[in-house]
Amino acid sequence: MMQAAFADYVFDSQRTFRELLQAMARPAQPRPLPVLPPSPAPIAPAAMAILLTLCDATTSVWLQQPEEEAISHLRFHAGLRLAERPEDADFALISDPASMPSLERFAHGDLRYPDRSASLIIQATSFSSSPCMQGEDGRGSHTVASTQDCATPPQPSPASRGGSNPAMRFAGPGIRETETLAIDGLPSDFWQQRAAMAAQLPLGVDLFFVAAQHVVALPRTTRLLES
Amino acid sequence: MYVAVKGGEQAIARSLELLAEARRGDTAVPELELAQIREQLRLGVARVMQEGSLYDEELAALAIRQAAGDMLEAIFLLRAYRTTLPRFGYTQPLDTTAMRVRRRVSGTFKDIPGGQVLGPTYDYTQRLLEFDTTTPAVVKSAETPLPSNMPRVLDLLDAEALIERIDAGSDPEPMDLTREPLMFPADRATRLQNLARGDEGFLLSMAYSTQRGYAESHPFAGEIRMGEVDVVVCPEELGFAIEIGAVTLTECQMINQFHGGNGVPPQFTRGYGLSMGEGERKAMSMALVDRALRCDELAEPSYAPAQNQEFVLSHSDSVEASGFVQHLKLPHYVDFQAELSLLRTLAAQHATDTDEQPLSAAGGQRP
Amino acid sequence: MTYNFAFLDEDTKRMLRRSLLKAVAIPGYQVPFGSREMPLPYGWGTGGIQVTAALLGPDDVLKVIDQGADDTTNAVNIRRFFARVAGVATTEHTAEATLIQTRHRIPETSLREDQILVFQVPEPEPLRTLEPREAETRTLHALADYGLMHVKLYEDIAQYGHIATSYDYPVLVDGRFLTSPSPIPKFDNPKLDRSPALMLFGAGREKRLYAIPPYTHVESLAFDDHPFEIQCWEHRCELCGSGESYLDEVVVDDQGTRMFVCSDTDFCGSRRTEAQA
Repeated sequence: MMQAAFADYVFDSQRTFRELLQAMARPAQPRPLPVLPPSPAPIAPAAMAILLTLCDATTSVWLQQPEEEAISHLRFHAGLRLAERPEDADFALISDPASMPSLERFAHGDLRYPDRSASLIIQATSFSSSPCMQGEDGRGSHTVASTQDCATPPQPSPASRGGSNPAMRFAGPGIRETETLAIDGLPSDFWQQRAAMAAQLPLGVDLFFVAAQHVVALPRTTRLLES
Repeated sequence: MYVAVKGGEQAIARSLELLAEARRGDTAVPELELAQIREQLRLGVARVMQEGSLYDEELAALAIRQAAGDMLEAIFLLRAYRTTLPRFGYTQPLDTTAMRVRRRVSGTFKDIPGGQVLGPTYDYTQRLLEFDTTTPAVVKSAETPLPSNMPRVLDLLDAEALIERIDAGSDPEPMDLTREPLMFPADRATRLQNLARGDEGFLLSMAYSTQRGYAESHPFAGEIRMGEVDVVVCPEELGFAIEIGAVTLTECQMINQFHGGNGVPPQFTRGYGLSMGEGERKAMSMALVDRALRCDELAEPSYAPAQNQEFVLSHSDSVEASGFVQHLKLPHYVDFQAELSLLRTLAAQHATDTDEQPLSAAGGQRP
Repeated sequence: MTYNFAFLDEDTKRMLRRSLLKAVAIPGYQVPFGSREMPLPYGWGTGGIQVTAALLGPDDVLKVIDQGADDTTNAVNIRRFFARVAGVATTEHTAEATLIQTRHRIPETSLREDQILVFQVPEPEPLRTLEPREAETRTLHALADYGLMHVKLYEDIAQYGHIATSYDYPVLVDGRFLTSPSPIPKFDNPKLDRSPALMLFGAGREKRLYAIPPYTHVESLAFDDHPFEIQCWEHRCELCGSGESYLDEVVVDDQGTRMFVCSDTDFCGSRRTEAQA
């Protein structure tokens, strides 16, 4: 049986987009997504919300784990094209970050068109942010999202999950002073890969991380500060 | 006491009422019916469909009536309507070789297989105003009907290998300019798409300039044909082609001299134009401009406006041009204020400098 | 026939949304997008309208200004358009708005983190008047080669003693892309720097989108010996007495008598209301 997508596809995607836009505009600040649509494994509901909001027949999506049911669900509801290789993807869904391909594999754009680059949706185990100088209240130093909080059935947790990452400080456009964020479940050399990419700015890839109902973005311009 | 101008809302509402009144004119005169426009102003309808990028005679007629006969406004209305229409599918490429020809002329041969067919044309009217009500002559049907399939004039040259071959089968899938932005350099399919939507007046002038020395042109009208072409779709779920109707088209193939270069032997080259309905002036202009824009591919010297693809393609669209030219009537007083204060500063500076001028001219010491 | 919410179909909105996210991710870079033909003329805000349509939801409160004023005819018309096709609440008060679409001004009232400012842009390419070829300007951006602009500004100084650009004054965003702030007076340029609000720019006719994320360094070009300066007036607003706002010069009689009033009508009106209270 095919599961449903957004109940109200005009306004659910509009509200989701506004959170994604703010997430991209205010990097390293987790935000709750307003709607979590049903989603077949291995796609997390928050990742499905992003795919349904942004992808259609004109975008190509690379699935790290192209399970049959997930593919037919995406084809039916979004009509999207699947990319065979990471380098051909406009969007990539990373459902098992510990074994994800290197960031180098994805399209970085070219110097005249740096926008022709991939956006990655990475399903993290959890992430947490710490208090900072910014104006929004109610954000404490705690885990804001983990797959265990999820109202929908939790994803099967592969044994190969990467380890817990320490909190890191970020700066760059969209960040008033600095932001602190820890993302769990990434490959151990993930941050080295991303740092290597920074040398190619304005080329690069843009990252959305999801855990439970939260999303946090790291566009290419966000700098990881030496701790 | 000064009160800032208010009441934009009411002003717009009142303006719309005045427009509706002006558009209708004297109500003692019957309102134009769309069928009258469609039947009796068919060339206007064709132009609006062509530049509006939507083949729908009824909607084009409606747009012309709503625009009070302002063709550019009618084109804009049709474009604004089509912009959000869903795409149900794409047709197969139209086969103009199989056109049911109503008019077909060639300037390159005295006679051609299938013959020169004048059809309905203004070409040989004597442009005398017909003051009497026009009643159509009774048209006698031809003794021998036109052949159902007329060979293309350019194929005759092709047999002799004197004209460049165009292998349509190797063309990449064209992009859709109404869904994707124009990028430079633009390939030929994209350029033709832009020209097809381009303003007839603009293309006419550009084409004319190529004949007056602003490009190496030397064109001959190889063939112009007008008639009906079937529109065929092949839905994926059906797996076979079905005809969904027919459209009237005008096609022009220009033949241009080419002395060879860029690894290409001396031969005739082609310029291509296609227009919905009866749009001969548009199709011919398009073919000339298309050919001029091929200068880079053929390694021809490029110096004329009509050969400059950024110049031509960026300025061909009447909806873009009309909007931007006319946006100057919007308020700009904030920027004008900025310019005023800058100019006052510069003028004061100039006055000071001029005062000092005689001193230095007389060899005096500047402060 | 009924139109979709906010006029645009969902495919078009998704295309715009994808482009906007890339625009935010690459501050100041002009993202080409499949601009649609809107029911308003090109050059009259079609880029801003498409951006607003891609953002707009039923909970938004929309403000539209042109020249700083809510009641200029084009602002009224755009507001009317969205009230008609999206049924959203509209306001003239900057503080009440969640979305503000603007032409040629940035409101005087400081914007907040929960607000988005959408600019209408006629010519997104700051180098266009110096280099008309798009293929060439793209390359200059790729190389971050902005010598042309520096030479132009320097020649101004050599010739006039001043930089002779009073609006649409070029800025460098996040130290990388030379960007047009749209034809705002240079008076408004400092408001672009490290703004709490996200700023999005739409050029419909030219089919480009770009963005300045919040808290992003935006530098108006200048030279060490010719620092960037904004306009200032000897007058105050004759209606609200403000000495800090951008002023319009109004001719009030046949003798050419001038008076100066705030261009931001909401700012001016609010100050007068407060003064009366």
